[in-house]
Amino acid sequence: MSGGLRIEGLGVSLGGRAVLSDVTLAVSPGEVLAIEGESGAGKTTLLRAAAGLVPHSGTVRCGGGRPALVFQHHALARRLTARSNVLVGALGRIGFWRAALRLWPATERAFAAECLGRVGLEAVADRRADTLSGGQRQRVAIARALMQRAPVLLADEPVASLDPANAEAVLALLRDLARGGLAVVVSLHQPELARRHADRRLRLEKGRIVA
Amino acid sequence: MRRWAGWLALAAFLAWCTWIVSPDPGRLLAGLPRLARWLAGAFPPDFSGPEDLLRRASETVAIASLGTAVAALLALPLAVLAARPVAPLPVLYHPVRALLDTLRGVDGFVFALILVAAVGLGPFAGMLGVALHSTGSIAKLWSEALETAELSPVEAALSAGASRAQAAAVVLVPETLPQTASAVLYVWEFNIRASTVLGVVGAGGLGQELKNAVDLLDFARVLAILLIIVAMVLAADRLSGALRRALL
Repeated sequence: MSGGLRIEGLGVSLGGRAVLSDVTLAVSPGEVLAIEGESGAGKTTLLRAAAGLVPHSGTVRCGGGRPALVFQHHALARRLTARSNVLVGALGRIGFWRAALRLWPATERAFAAECLGRVGLEAVADRRADTLSGGQRQRVAIARALMQRAPVLLADEPVASLDPANAEAVLALLRDLARGGLAVVVSLHQPELARRHADRRLRLEKGRIVA
Repeated sequence: MRRWAGWLALAAFLAWCTWIVSPDPGRLLAGLPRLARWLAGAFPPDFSGPEDLLRRASETVAIASLGTAVAALLALPLAVLAARPVAPLPVLYHPVRALLDTLRGVDGFVFALILVAAVGLGPFAGMLGVALHSTGSIAKLWSEALETAELSPVEAALSAGASRAQAAAVVLVPETLPQTASAVLYVWEFNIRASTVLGVVGAGGLGQELKNAVDLLDFARVLAILLIIVAMVLAADRLSGALRRALL
């Protein structure tokens, strides 16, 4: 499989307790996979392990790079503009001094504008993140993930703090991004949203995939 | 019962302090007329030789400002080493904390007293004294700002492939700017006040002029210098307040 995500036998233990056991899944480019489960089922740990933020056993293969993660509470730098937050997604590609002195290459600036355009936020590019609405912040977080040029997008409860209209809009955006060629994994705890927006659904209970 | 024990301990402590200090109201009463005479003699304040006063006041501002700037430069690596979530070398955490406590524990005045002996009289010794003490204060305040900062944007940067240094420079520094800049302004404001007495040990500034005037019992001059000190401290207070508001 090229460009998608394949996870095999993934296990995570925190403080001697198994949080995830033997998780195996695959997502293809163009597909939205929803991970459902109650709070504490291990959804966040699964996505964080897949993004390389948590030590784990088993294998995570992401064709053509590392997965980009959209954090549950957007994790934006509040005092930075939407544009600067998106440019953070390019840090893996540029050197320390260019980043520290904000000398972003023109190509990266252009791509940041494109990413903001894809989430419909060109108009607020120069506004500070703490002046944006919850829905806008989540979209900026998605644009930052797109900025990583990753083939796989992992979204951890991206609609948990949004009202129903914004939740629908954010999930529709993720679906559109998948149609554009990304493999998308999204954790949700609302089954009806998962049914409407995902191509496939998996259910996680006590750290294991049960359906 | 425990509350009474607390009050009792406080009373015992204050009694011990009183025994050490040996306050003598009789001496105060005897001294009051002398104070009143000096106060009466202080009017009108003596602002003669304004160029001397201006030079000494400039020295005080320069000692405080350059001392604060040097301290901020020295504090930057120390603050990073002393902030748990970002410390690159955890093994240095406790030694650096101990160093900061030591620097903060010794007043700039005491550092200046020692440094005057080492580098000679004048504002240079004063600036070094202020810088040493303030390094401890600024690094401690900065490390606390770093420790209480929201770390999820830093984690997002790391997950995007940023190095720790990049994440700190691009995300953490701007995010904590209101706290870190405010800490520097607070220390600068404190240093303006503290630098007014450094001259007493020969480390330059208005204190030098103040000590000369007190030695000569020239209270009109003392009052003039005190008025300049109050004006400087109030100006520094207003300026740093305005800058702090602008940085939010």
